[in-house]
Amino acid sequence: MRIKSALAAAAVLALAAACGSGGGGGQSSSSSSSAPGEAVKLNFLSLAWQKESVAANKQIVDDWNKANPGIQVTYVQGSWDNVNDQLVTQFAGGTAPDVIHNESPALSGFAADGYLLDLTGKLPAELKSDIPQPAWDTVTFDDGKGGNGVYGVPFLQESQVIIANKKLLDASGVRVPTPDNPWTWDEFSEAAKKMTAKRPIVTSSSGSGTETGQGYGVAWAMKSPVNKTLNLALNFGGTFFQTGADGKTTVKVGPEEREVLQRIHDQLYKDKSADPAALGQGTADPLPAFFQDKFAMLPAGVYLRQQVAEQAPKGFEWVTLPAPKGTTAEQGAVSQTLSIAQDSKHPDEAMKFIAYFLNGENQAKLAKGDWLLPTSQKAAADPSITGKENGWDVATASAKNLVVAPFLKVKGFDEWKSKVATPVLQEYYANKISIDDVAKRLVEDGNKVLERYQR
Amino acid sequence: MTATATRPSPPSPRRGTRRRRRAGARRTREMWLLMLPALVPVALFSVGPLLYGIGLAFTDARNTRNHETSFVGLQNLTDLLSDGDFWSSFRIGMIWAFSVTALQFAAALGLALLLNQDLRFRGVARVLAVVPWAMPPVVIGLMWRLVYHPDAGILNSVLGTHVNWLADFSLALPAIIVVGVWTGMPQTTVVLLAGLQGVPKELYEAVEVDGASPWRRFWHITLPQLRPVIVAITSLDFVWNINQFGLVYVLTQGGPGGQTRLPMLFAYEEAFRYRFAGYASMLGVAMAIVVLAVLGLYLWRQMRETR
Repeated sequence: MRIKSALAAAAVLALAAACGSGGGGGQSSSSSSSAPGEAVKLNFLSLAWQKESVAANKQIVDDWNKANPGIQVTYVQGSWDNVNDQLVTQFAGGTAPDVIHNESPALSGFAADGYLLDLTGKLPAELKSDIPQPAWDTVTFDDGKGGNGVYGVPFLQESQVIIANKKLLDASGVRVPTPDNPWTWDEFSEAAKKMTAKRPIVTSSSGSGTETGQGYGVAWAMKSPVNKTLNLALNFGGTFFQTGADGKTTVKVGPEEREVLQRIHDQLYKDKSADPAALGQGTADPLPAFFQDKFAMLPAGVYLRQQVAEQAPKGFEWVTLPAPKGTTAEQGAVSQTLSIAQDSKHPDEAMKFIAYFLNGENQAKLAKGDWLLPTSQKAAADPSITGKENGWDVATASAKNLVVAPFLKVKGFDEWKSKVATPVLQEYYANKISIDDVAKRLVEDGNKVLERYQR
Repeated sequence: MTATATRPSPPSPRRGTRRRRRAGARRTREMWLLMLPALVPVALFSVGPLLYGIGLAFTDARNTRNHETSFVGLQNLTDLLSDGDFWSSFRIGMIWAFSVTALQFAAALGLALLLNQDLRFRGVARVLAVVPWAMPPVVIGLMWRLVYHPDAGILNSVLGTHVNWLADFSLALPAIIVVGVWTGMPQTTVVLLAGLQGVPKELYEAVEVDGASPWRRFWHITLPQLRPVIVAITSLDFVWNINQFGLVYVLTQGGPGGQTRLPMLFAYEEAFRYRFAGYASMLGVAMAIVVLAVLGLYLWRQMRETR
């Protein structure tokens, strides 16, 4: 009995070990092949999640299917939470969708692994010219064989803005920044200090009851601190990665990289102008406290305006301010993208669908649905996303500051981010380690991670 | 096998050895023939993948389309042994497996003893005790995520606290251990209950005549009688727990900052997130060896003591 159970245990374990390993390189088809004259079928994996955005996506797919009986597209709903795990298994198993919605940081790995189709020669001229070159740079990657290729069509971009409580902003008497004349980081910290005071905090959801409590100037939601920190670090020229003459990429944390880290840390622990309760929260989590006047400003991606507009209690006034600038106003840009699987049987039809899906008119719909910035120049001029309402003017203006985030092309960035940078930055913002520890761990542990990808 | 066993013994010893040898050979052949239908699926679905996995562990296989896999010998093992993340994951895995198994056993034994008493509604209580068994780990994970939810969770509203249980660096591991114990209790309870019902009544009657206290009865009759069952179920629990994946994946995905990254989650991340299939296979092999070693030691000691 005992020996048997030990044997059974061994078998169970062995199986588990065997299951943990996947084979490489599935080659089978991703969509069913069709006889001539029959409609080509494409699967489109979409990651849209906001209600308006899902509706816009489905609408465009429906319109396409009606207009093109020969190429029928099936909308497949995915989720940002696990899309990359899902794609790795689907690619390996040969069941990946033909048209894949993702974001540019994820593409470099898939491109180098040979799972995505190089679109260089396939892009229609109209689509190519409608999207400016800096956006194309966010999807141009090493193909794993020494060359470069374009592995997706960039369509929505996120920039950082500050969402502010208008009442508290006006009461503090600080200069209101504009896209042409944004705050410097010094002014921003100064403003945050001015808005930090004991003040009436709304206690009931109806907004009638208040009691006096500590109010803060700003709230940093740093549950996922890496992308936010790295994108803002560009304000002072902080790139975090450098590529040496030998072609090896290493992590660097010098004075430029430390600027934004130190300034955010100062707001939290020196000025005490940042709400400590928000620190461990995800981007949208501090909103209830924002509506209660607990803090006045929330630095966030432009898309968060959607939730603010939707959830704000009656009579709550808010404005969108441009992000502060350091030595430059530059921010790192990543884009949402549409790519075609290398194993897709109908790449040309897929390209046609993408070209339609991302034309100026449709991009404007998608941008409005997701409250993000379109890459299409035609879409950016659409009056529905340039008006003053809900801060669209400030959001759209911030697009000109977007440059390619330097980490986009770093092989192994995803592992560096989740294994090294996320815990290190979380501990730093929680005041558990010093900035010198941050620099040391990001560089030493980080280089070890990057090493694996450069063998 | 039973058919051949009833064959009458050969009359002459000299002729018999040859005949017996021939009969033995035929018996072996028959045995293999009869076992074949059972062996094929075993070879196809367990031994094959297992050998493939072990083979992968000695290569630099990656889950990519354009990678030439080559043999790298023990490179993966040396990398593994010098990987700080592996050791922290290993430590977490051991804390998890030992504490969940021990707590599961203690709680399940208590519950089994209670359910073995002549209580009212015993049938209903027994059914309720196995309910968690009927739930898939993903559902359990989702349910407990709601329990631990920082704003809407039952736990915070009962305690009147505002703790983000699953995101706190020091609370996340204890929080998932509680869920692990809850999940594994039913099968442990059922097995122990079955064991309790197999303890002969005469033994209790005998010690009662001698005037033994309930504690002494438990210590000197129940526990020794249950011993084989306890050894079996704790070893199985240990294996199940150290290989736990779905539950923790749903609850924390190994976060915050890797504080709940069990070895199997680590292997999953290596294989499917960072796509180092060879490295992940070596991790699987290493964990299998560790578990076999721990179990071997435990079973060997238990058997020696019984003897």
